[in-house]
Amino acid sequence: MPAKLVVTDLTHHYPDEYTGESVHALEKINLEVNEGELVTVVGPSGCGKSTLLNILAGLLPYREGNASMDGVKIQGPSSERGVVFQEQAILPWRSVAKNIGHGLELKGVPRGEREKRVSEFIKLVGLVGFEDKFPHELSGGMKQRCAVARTLCADPAVMLMDEPFAAVDAQTRITLQEELNRIAIATKKTILFITHSVDEAAFLGDRCFVFTARPGRLREIVNIDIPREKRIWADMNNDPRFIEARDKIMRLVREEVLVSNA
Amino acid sequence: MRNNLNRFRAFWRHFPAAGAINLALIILCILLIWELISSTIDNPSRYLPSPILVALSSVDMIYKGLLPSYFGDTLIRLITGSSIGLALGIPFGLIIGINRTSADIFYPVMNFFQSVSGIAIFPIVVIWWGNSDTTVLVVILYTSFFPIAFTVLSGVREVPMQYIHAARTMGATRFQVIRDVLLPGSMPHIATGSRLSIGFAWRAVIAGEMLAGREGLGWMIFTAQDADKTSEVILGMVMIGVSWIVLDHYLLRPLEADTIERWGLVQR
Repeated sequence: MPAKLVVTDLTHHYPDEYTGESVHALEKINLEVNEGELVTVVGPSGCGKSTLLNILAGLLPYREGNASMDGVKIQGPSSERGVVFQEQAILPWRSVAKNIGHGLELKGVPRGEREKRVSEFIKLVGLVGFEDKFPHELSGGMKQRCAVARTLCADPAVMLMDEPFAAVDAQTRITLQEELNRIAIATKKTILFITHSVDEAAFLGDRCFVFTARPGRLREIVNIDIPREKRIWADMNNDPRFIEARDKIMRLVREEVLVSNA
Repeated sequence: MRNNLNRFRAFWRHFPAAGAINLALIILCILLIWELISSTIDNPSRYLPSPILVALSSVDMIYKGLLPSYFGDTLIRLITGSSIGLALGIPFGLIIGINRTSADIFYPVMNFFQSVSGIAIFPIVVIWWGNSDTTVLVVILYTSFFPIAFTVLSGVREVPMQYIHAARTMGATRFQVIRDVLLPGSMPHIATGSRLSIGFAWRAVIAGEMLAGREGLGWMIFTAQDADKTSEVILGMVMIGVSWIVLDHYLLRPLEADTIERWGLVQR
């Protein structure tokens, strides 16, 4: 499989917002995300996961190293790389349907086709009947479904997800994870998924990138060889492949957390 | 006893037109107190004419066609002046809210002029344009510009970065970000700012007419005082207050309800 996203020797410093001191966020990151693959990224807080995502999204300019998609250097945001943010990024003044169709609207897709595509994705994420609701009328889980559908509907080649389920309750999170798995099967999108939950990383990832404490380096890549169709939470706790991957990721992350606390 | 009172309150709240009846009762109380004071003082027609006398003078003024004409003049001035003020203030606030450099240049200038109130610039405007309609209009425009420009400025800056990032990663151009994110995102501030601006403009129009006008409600109050017609002075004051309440209730409030309340951007 060809690599969709390639990051080589990416190093990043940024000035702290209050003190102005230089923060060393990423150190010589090298990684590849293959076409159609779902990769999860875990690491201690402040290890530069979000910095990496923002650079890949094109939202954060960088100087050292390189980040590219399909061999083209990333130099700004593009609708080819959609982002699902942690929370509260769908627009409060647009209804669910209008939020989901926003990407197509920006591209100038005519209304008829737009509405057809929007209703497809509303079905896919299970928001039928909520088309005309405004975000403040939705639960946290529904808002995130809407956010996922919005990104998908714009049909990006790559989806970058920044702890998208972190702010919802545990029960909803499990449902959302299974839904995302289903969506990954249905759409075959290339997905980079950042999380601080080890379970989530092991459940969703084809591979899991474990980052070190700041400055973030890629410490290890954990392969999770479970077919997507088999990934159902009810079966996971008896699946030795899941348990092994989860425990390995957990051990690595714990070590890094201890380093960062020391 | 207390229980009965609460039940009555609940019943009254759901009674049709309870709001209107409440308002009517309050007005009636005020009129009664006014009448009471008026009937106990010496020379009430100079110091505080009774409500009935004021009502009669309004009949007289309407009959002569003066009140409708003055009221119309004032309203047209308000609408013209504050619409231009808003039409300039909203984009101006947007631009300096978006662009750091223009904010660095214009913010101190705006801050300076904001402190020089409409009344304080009056003399210089009179020197430039004389006692004319233009003078009054310029002062209204000046007065309504700053509240809206400042509130829109802070509104733009308070739009969460996430919204802008989301739009940009869906391929939004700079213009599309402004149209779809920054403008609606500052709607709560635009609504509050417009209300402030029009409120200030309403005061400025009256003051302006007093100082430089030849017609309008402000002018009516001013000349009535000269002519010792206190009832017309009070009539003018009542007209000013009532028109504002009507304007606010039937124009500005529904505008808010339709936008920012629908979007859940205000909680109470």
